[in-house]
Amino acid sequence: MSKSGRSLLDWLSLNRTELGLLLAIVLVFVLAGTIDPQHTYFDFSARRGAELSFKDILRQTSMLGIFALGSAVVIISGGIDLSCGSVIAFSGSVCATLMLLMAPEAMTGGSELSLGVIAAAIVGTVLVGFLIGSLHAWLITVIGLPPFVATLATLVGLRSLGRSIIERVTNRMLDGTSTQIQIFDDRFRYLATSIWIPALIFAVLAVLFWLLLSRTVTGRHLYALGGNEQAAHLSGISTTRLKWLAYTLGAVTSSIAGILYIGDQAVADPQTLGRGYELNAIAAAVVGGCSLQGGVGTIPGTVLGVIFLRTVIDGIAKIIKTGADVYEGLIVGILVVVAVAFNQLRTAGSGRKRFFADALGIVAGVTLVILSALVCWLMAGDTPGVIGGTLALAAIVVLKLLEARAARRGQSDARR
Amino acid sequence: MPAAEPIIAIRGVTKRFPGVTALDDVTFDVAAGELHAIVGENGAGKSTLMKILAGVITQYEGEILLRGQPYRVAGTRDAEAAGVSIIHQELNLVDDLSAAANIFLGRERRGALGLIDDRSMNHVAGELLGELECHVDPSAPVRHLRVGDQQLVEIAKALSLSADILIMDEPTSALTEAEVARLDRVIARLRQRGTTILYISHKMDEVFRLADHVTVLRDGKLIRTLERSETTPREITHLMVGREIEHTRLDTCRPIGDEVLRVERLSLPTASGDRYRLRDVSFSLRRGEIVGIAGLMGAGRTELLECLFGCSERAPQGTITVAGTPQRFTHPQQAIAAGLAMVSEDRKRLGLFAEMSVGENVTLCALAQATVGGLLSRPREAVLADGAIERLGVKTAGRDAAITSLSGGNQQKAILARWLLTEPRVLLLDDPTRGVDVGAKAELYRLMDRLCHEGLGIVVTSSELPELLTLCDRILVLCEGRLTGEFTRAEATEAAIMEAATATN
Repeated sequence: MSKSGRSLLDWLSLNRTELGLLLAIVLVFVLAGTIDPQHTYFDFSARRGAELSFKDILRQTSMLGIFALGSAVVIISGGIDLSCGSVIAFSGSVCATLMLLMAPEAMTGGSELSLGVIAAAIVGTVLVGFLIGSLHAWLITVIGLPPFVATLATLVGLRSLGRSIIERVTNRMLDGTSTQIQIFDDRFRYLATSIWIPALIFAVLAVLFWLLLSRTVTGRHLYALGGNEQAAHLSGISTTRLKWLAYTLGAVTSSIAGILYIGDQAVADPQTLGRGYELNAIAAAVVGGCSLQGGVGTIPGTVLGVIFLRTVIDGIAKIIKTGADVYEGLIVGILVVVAVAFNQLRTAGSGRKRFFADALGIVAGVTLVILSALVCWLMAGDTPGVIGGTLALAAIVVLKLLEARAARRGQSDARR
Repeated sequence: MPAAEPIIAIRGVTKRFPGVTALDDVTFDVAAGELHAIVGENGAGKSTLMKILAGVITQYEGEILLRGQPYRVAGTRDAEAAGVSIIHQELNLVDDLSAAANIFLGRERRGALGLIDDRSMNHVAGELLGELECHVDPSAPVRHLRVGDQQLVEIAKALSLSADILIMDEPTSALTEAEVARLDRVIARLRQRGTTILYISHKMDEVFRLADHVTVLRDGKLIRTLERSETTPREITHLMVGREIEHTRLDTCRPIGDEVLRVERLSLPTASGDRYRLRDVSFSLRRGEIVGIAGLMGAGRTELLECLFGCSERAPQGTITVAGTPQRFTHPQQAIAAGLAMVSEDRKRLGLFAEMSVGENVTLCALAQATVGGLLSRPREAVLADGAIERLGVKTAGRDAAITSLSGGNQQKAILARWLLTEPRVLLLDDPTRGVDVGAKAELYRLMDRLCHEGLGIVVTSSELPELLTLCDRILVLCEGRLTGEFTRAEATEAAIMEAATATN
């Protein structure tokens, strides 16, 4: 596409977020592969080494990616969807319930589920996703609720609704009341365990969403809506319909993910399924360059954001081996802050900004030292904890001194 | 040059932004107690210079002396402490706080137990506002005040800071004639107290009415500082643009065609439904004609255009006929389909997509023309954008440049370009030259004239009467939502229009 060096440079600077993420992903792989005592990522000999890791990353990335795409569209259109995790849980429950209602014997392990039942359950679940998204859009555009409130309500409500439905249905269909539905059918589970199916769905959706956002009129209008809703309305854009589309895509992608998750986990348990996943999706979009103010962000960026989040989580799991899943939230939190702060400082120009100038800066500095010490101690042990804390303290003290010196010099420059 | 030591001495100030030098080695003096006008086209560097003085921009090269001492501030608070206050063009008030709370924002008076003492603040604020001939309730939220009164609240705030240097950035851009007269009296009073005023403006009549010295900036460079008594508006304009602007004479014999828009008994009830923002407005517009809507702020100019474009708060009553077909618009989409286009008053808030490029801003309403098989074609969109940019003479580095990198006049042209791509019959322009400099204004006038020659009908509002007198074939006057006058070009005079605009007072 780019014939001259000039346009190549333009292209590079236009896609800085994406390129930065790509580099960061490679860096994480190399670092984690090197630090990991077993060098799992570089171990292609045994079947349990690299291949297994990559499959796991691919599975996790695809599942998160599917609904992160939906979240990204909502965010780009200037809204927010907090309900993903609950929609996943609710959709999973609905899917399992539908199968139980249509084929009770098969669901209790008696026989195979027929393909017709599986297909009907999937279609029904996706339809439920469409209804949820439409409800969001109606609450936001017609009733006038802020997106935060509308989707917060479903975040809280749908999970408990899913559980109630499962309790009632298991009570009626099975021997006793249960809060979850087991899934034994291998053909249904293959949807998730095959790995290539989730990956394919993610890839196809990513391409479709990318086409929608970057190559269609509707997509351009979504950016316009997110960038300046009033101006979009005055430009003759039907903002109500666009929001309907955005929230529907948000909910339907979550529903698809819900179907895959119950296949993956062999159980539909609305109490635990997808808990907190909405924040992972939002984090992936934000790390990938979407602005929560709306109007900014890309699908390639979001895809890379998802991959980056999952590789970091997996990389740290490789390094500390046991109990790494405890740290997932911590890692996501840190990555979001670091990625967005990096962008913020780059665009705002950190120049002579003083980070630790006043009381607030000093308290924050102390917090950072404690945090570093804690993280090092928890992940690596007593001695690394002390070392980590000391290093952080030293770094902040040095920064503070440098800032103070620069500020003094600035003042004396002005006086001269 | 003033002989006494200047109160502000600007020495070689340079400010570079990525890709553009906003100020280039600017040096001049401001004498204590004078009113010093800073003029220049948009993008000349006036606002940057004022932001440096007010402490909004803190990184720059060069030096500023205030009362002979080096002046380096880390923020607006420092500047205020040094006695420098700025009244921004886009006012800086917290809409939902009262006038008094805004005046004392950040310096709230406290009473017993350290609680906020509203009564004393309201009292002092009332006195300050009274001095400025601003008779509003200091405890009412500023959201409910007129723009002119809001501006006086800002001035009152500056006074309460005991500022002796006041920077006013295009203070009259949104004021009615009566409010401008009041502002003139306020300025005179401030000068009696010895306040030094830096006054940024595009308007030659104001500059020559008020200023002692005039400093002209162009492309970030200081062109000259002149004594008012030794110069003429013509010379200043010449220095600003770098070329002489012929006094805009617009063709008065445009071919007038068939009726394209007819409005009959249009009424717009308020949200509560008990009063009317517009009442029984009837008029018609023909091809090739420019009809102006005059009126004070709040007379219903904007509301009238909003009704015509299907974006009024409530549905209007009465009939709107476009090219012979009766229409009832509930969404701008329908108005656009019927051949209407509207450039709204507040460019930043209602027109621009700041995150988008110039090209994307221009093609937004006509993207359907750039699709192949349902997908946007980049080359087609580029052709569309380039054609529109060229047709309107938008000065830009290219269609991929950020829209925010353009000057106000060129942003306005880009928005006009966006609408012309929808091939409208009727163009509704709501105060299209607000915040646009002299040179660009003249260009916009010529553009509107050309579009009329091409067969468009234009409805235009303006807060500046001379503009309407220059442009319009007919001028309609609104007063509190009613039509109180209609003048042909031959009949229209400022006095007659003002009389109609204040008819019920």
